[in-house]
Amino acid sequence: MITEYTATGKPFIHYHAAHCESGVTSALFRNKGVDISEPMAFGIGSGIFFAHLPFMKSLGHPVSTFRSQPGAIFRKTVKRLGGEFVIKSFRDPKKGMDELRQVLRTGQVVGLKTNLYWLPYISERFRFNFGSHNLIVLREIENGFRISDPTFEYPVDCSAEGLQKARFARGPMEGSGYMYYPKTVKLNPDLREACIKGMKDSCNMMIRIPLPFFGVRGIRFLAKRVIQSEGKLGIDEARRNLGAVVRWLEEVGTGGSGFRYMYAAFFQEAAELFGSEDLAELSHEMTVIGDTWRDFSVMSARIIKQRNKPEETFAKAGGLMLICAGREENFFKNLDQVARKLKA
Amino acid sequence: MELEDEIFNDGLPKAYYKQNDNGQYVLETDAPWAEKVSCALIIAGNRARLEEIRKAVLAGQQSPLCYYMEMRQMEPGMLAKAAGIVVFRVRRHLRPEIFAKLKPSVLYRYTKALRVTMEELKTVPNN
Repeated sequence: MITEYTATGKPFIHYHAAHCESGVTSALFRNKGVDISEPMAFGIGSGIFFAHLPFMKSLGHPVSTFRSQPGAIFRKTVKRLGGEFVIKSFRDPKKGMDELRQVLRTGQVVGLKTNLYWLPYISERFRFNFGSHNLIVLREIENGFRISDPTFEYPVDCSAEGLQKARFARGPMEGSGYMYYPKTVKLNPDLREACIKGMKDSCNMMIRIPLPFFGVRGIRFLAKRVIQSEGKLGIDEARRNLGAVVRWLEEVGTGGSGFRYMYAAFFQEAAELFGSEDLAELSHEMTVIGDTWRDFSVMSARIIKQRNKPEETFAKAGGLMLICAGREENFFKNLDQVARKLKA
Repeated sequence: MELEDEIFNDGLPKAYYKQNDNGQYVLETDAPWAEKVSCALIIAGNRARLEEIRKAVLAGQQSPLCYYMEMRQMEPGMLAKAAGIVVFRVRRHLRPEIFAKLKPSVLYRYTKALRVTMEELKTVPNN
């Protein structure tokens, strides 16, 4: 927690967060006086998901994502908590930057969608072409902007030129200078109803999409591919593919174990909010699922490290994934029952 | 091990959710071991591929454009969008004999898209 100031001298508190989008959403709401934490925003926005998309490549490997599509958490949270946001995108970079400066001068903080690769303050391990990294701009400073990027511990400075390139970079999921800021926010929103809606939506996304790539089916699909990958692709390529999965699981702003720990934190908060034993139980279960995913990533890391022990094979890693799939299916079926009984 | 430490000591740390002794979730900044390993694998792969292309450029099999495209982690499709040049032309420009004949106006578009200077775009680093 670090206090920063906007252009008109209003205080803005920077919170460290694990994920960019839920962090930005919660920070914008907190700035307007609605105190929701990052896990809460993640749960209300139905952030948890799984998808394995073999036809979409990032750095030459198929995409396997553990969260819902970019932009959905923000959109759903705003819809469920109530509030009016100004959302704009631009074709002309100059117009986009001028508009940003103008809004900042009124003392309003602005959320932006940027390309992770072109942000100047990012270190090498985060550098890859991902078109929707969210951050908050606080105010204009000399030759640049003061930025509160929730995935970093402290606010940082960024050059105007670098920020422009990051906002208007071309490529997959390009942002086109997407920017958003709250106009009005509903004070004292009905958190309980929003939580129930978020939970039900998550259940639908995880177990009711009849396609093999999404939700629990997607986890089973990927598990099968991992088990077969050694024979199909050769050991080196299979290792790299597995490394890419672990990177999606642990690295890309997930808060550990592919958002599962963050979701467990959401259930802890929800259990306090509803005073419900069932939800506390579900939080424990989600923690167990997170631990299983962590086991999978450790097993995969051992395979990658070539610590050739006979007991660590691709089949075992895939097996751990199947266990996760089974547990998650149970979890979301239980949650569906519990969420129906909860009263707003 | 050195590569892992090198890339993880660079820059600000990220946050991870962990349970404290009371079972409450709190934010910490220690990266899990598995993440370090997979990250190091991918970055080592990127660096090795870049080095391979650099050697191919020096041997005259690829154009310097290919090197800078790889450096920015782009594919011909993305570069085509960023530079405003049709994909099949970008693919052609990856051949050194065709790249050598390009007009400055085309090269200028590539320098804009890739954020390199005109002198840099014509060669690759020598060591």
